[in-house]
Amino acid sequence: MDSSLHEIWQAAAGSPFVPTVGKDSQFYVALALLLLGLSLGGAFTLSTLTEPNSRVLSIYPTHLATVFIPAMDTQGSSSSGPPLLRAVASSTRPLYQLLKAINFTNKVHVEINETGLRFAAEHVRVMQAVSHWNKSLFTSYTTNRPRAPILANDADDEDDEPIPPIFQISLPALLETLQIFGATDAAARQAKADADPYRSNLRNYRSDAFSNQTLGMSGTCSLAYAAEGEPFGVVLDEAGVSTTCNLTTYVPEAPEDIPFDIEDLSFKVITSARWLLDALTELAPTSPDKLTIAASKREPYLRLTSSGGPLGSSSVDFAGGRDLLETFSVSTKWRQTFKFDVIKLASEAMRIASKVSLRGDGQGVLSMQFLVEVEGSGPTFLDFRFVPYAVCEDEGDEEEGGSDNGREMET
Amino acid sequence: MRFKTDLKNVRTFSKLTAALNSLEKIAWVRLDDDTVRFTVIPDTGSQVWASLSVDLIFDNYHIESAEANNTINFELPLGPLQRALKSAVGSSYANLRLTKRDGLPMLSMTIHTMTKDGNGPGPGLGGPNRATTTANADPDAGLLGLPSSTADFTQESLELTMKREREKIITQDIPVRVLHPDTVETIMQPKVREPDVHIQLPPLLQLKAISDRFTKLAVTAASSSGNTRGGGGGTGSGAGGLGGSSSPKLTLSANMHGSLRLRLTTETLDITSVWHGLENPELDPTQLAVPLEEHPSTVFKEAGPDRWATVRVDGKDWSRVLSVGRLEGRVIACFADEHALILYVYVPHVDDVGMEDVVTYYVTSFSA
Repeated sequence: MDSSLHEIWQAAAGSPFVPTVGKDSQFYVALALLLLGLSLGGAFTLSTLTEPNSRVLSIYPTHLATVFIPAMDTQGSSSSGPPLLRAVASSTRPLYQLLKAINFTNKVHVEINETGLRFAAEHVRVMQAVSHWNKSLFTSYTTNRPRAPILANDADDEDDEPIPPIFQISLPALLETLQIFGATDAAARQAKADADPYRSNLRNYRSDAFSNQTLGMSGTCSLAYAAEGEPFGVVLDEAGVSTTCNLTTYVPEAPEDIPFDIEDLSFKVITSARWLLDALTELAPTSPDKLTIAASKREPYLRLTSSGGPLGSSSVDFAGGRDLLETFSVSTKWRQTFKFDVIKLASEAMRIASKVSLRGDGQGVLSMQFLVEVEGSGPTFLDFRFVPYAVCEDEGDEEEGGSDNGREMET
Repeated sequence: MRFKTDLKNVRTFSKLTAALNSLEKIAWVRLDDDTVRFTVIPDTGSQVWASLSVDLIFDNYHIESAEANNTINFELPLGPLQRALKSAVGSSYANLRLTKRDGLPMLSMTIHTMTKDGNGPGPGLGGPNRATTTANADPDAGLLGLPSSTADFTQESLELTMKREREKIITQDIPVRVLHPDTVETIMQPKVREPDVHIQLPPLLQLKAISDRFTKLAVTAASSSGNTRGGGGGTGSGAGGLGGSSSPKLTLSANMHGSLRLRLTTETLDITSVWHGLENPELDPTQLAVPLEEHPSTVFKEAGPDRWATVRVDGKDWSRVLSVGRLEGRVIACFADEHALILYVYVPHVDDVGMEDVVTYYVTSFSA
């Protein structure tokens, strides 16, 4: 009974209640009512002028009171406000998958947008990864922009561009919590697996003919963020058990995105994410320290070279087949070195993504954009950005000078 | 001192042994005319007192000793017993005897099993298999201490259409230590005050799945808040018992209105799972020391659904306790608020309706 009420509540989140008197106009309506009350009171006292003065005084405050009560009331309700975010999903699997790809930090920045949730993780300021939970992953998704603190009387509708709510939460904790959803199903399956071949019907805890599991009804996972400073709530409702997790939110660290100049692209390659992963797994056994990515117009087109390990260096060329690279455009020769372990942090994303777009800009920043196909929803993107090792002055000159052929021999 | 019995319901016995083995390696076994008692008392962690009627797992039970009620006490390593029972699951016949080998007391299990050509005989078909057992196997193989798996090669079946099944006899010897009755006299079942709340738990495997996630959450929260991983790695390999002091604590609460609550609070999160609509079994007034109206649970019931009895349990120990869920018994948890948690696992008898044996867990609880 309790849970059904809860479901109605969840379902109602999609169609918020709109009062007949809009929130922004409540003040004026109340003021008008007050004035009306005052004038009526005045008229009434005028009509009863013959009465003694004491009578007038007694009527006056009562009128004031009747008008003031509704005015106070509306102000009280607007201050608590609707929650900033309310979203309901019927499965946490895709949510979990998308977040797991950026699971390399303890804290993640969460930004609540109209179109979905944006998760940004970063690693010692040289790497940044962004994952999105698109609105389409949820059965219902409602956001309420925080209201401007000042009474923006006139220009409230035109240039209303509030900053989206942003905060930090513990990423491993959120991931573990999402895994609780479905844990009971898994337990039931496991129980079935190691059950007797001969299983009596008279056992305890036999499944109910109308249990949610038998009927194929999955539970719900709802997310809620009431207001700034409040915990980020995850509520998992499943057959008989309801789990509420309140994740402590932390003040954001004013993270600056790693600048990536999309106007000044040096190269752009689209290929299968799987192949990129294969290439890295090929290089990993020598436990290298650095990874050099080189893109050029001629052979070997795209080359990944590992170096700095105790077992020498090795390289993988993406030069073989025409269909290896879907898109390949190089404006200037691009060659940058990154920390291998940092690139490796993106391997989970490579595993779940179908395609990757590798781009390098004039400053040497590498962008990897992964396209992930999510069941029951459109494609989702994971964005990774990497800052390269600083290039020494003379080496840099050489690179800029660009005697291409000679340099390729070197590797 | 003699003890000889056939085994039945091997699967139940095996599951019980596995559950006990997860808590402690050695069990104290007490056998007498009517009951089999397994007791497990680890240094740290939950105690188990399983008292089973002989009919549940034994058949053709013979026991003889100088003590009253023909009591025999011995200590038994649970690991070897579990392995032995594993090979006995699905066997056609298995028995258990207390013997001596080279002067050492042994619990010897003899298992008659069919080599499987594809689908082996079901465990339910005891009758026909028993017949072949006596026909081509030497029943004394185990007694004479012959090599473990002796199969009778001389008698080949002439019916070529039959599946080629050969009987195997496996003997598993488990060393035991026989205890003098005086030594066990001092071991007493813990005494706990009348519980404040008693409630039937949800399926233990479900509870375990969620509890294990909670424990993991606590570990991730701990490792993210402080860099204790480097120090913990060194001690973790050597001393599991020492690690117990720092392992996560879960808060478990229940009320007399059908709700159970599991909660974990750390720096990064506050997570609660709630089960509703569970059963608070009625107490039998004749078995109570105090009148029902004065019983603490009545007080809790009248205090309404917001009156919770709470205990704190160790996440890892609790997970091991919950592994008893494989027995599929009805589990009643008794909470003494801020004091103790006792689990009664009722194991039903398959062939004797209404008979139930009880396995009692005294779960270690911690103060806040």
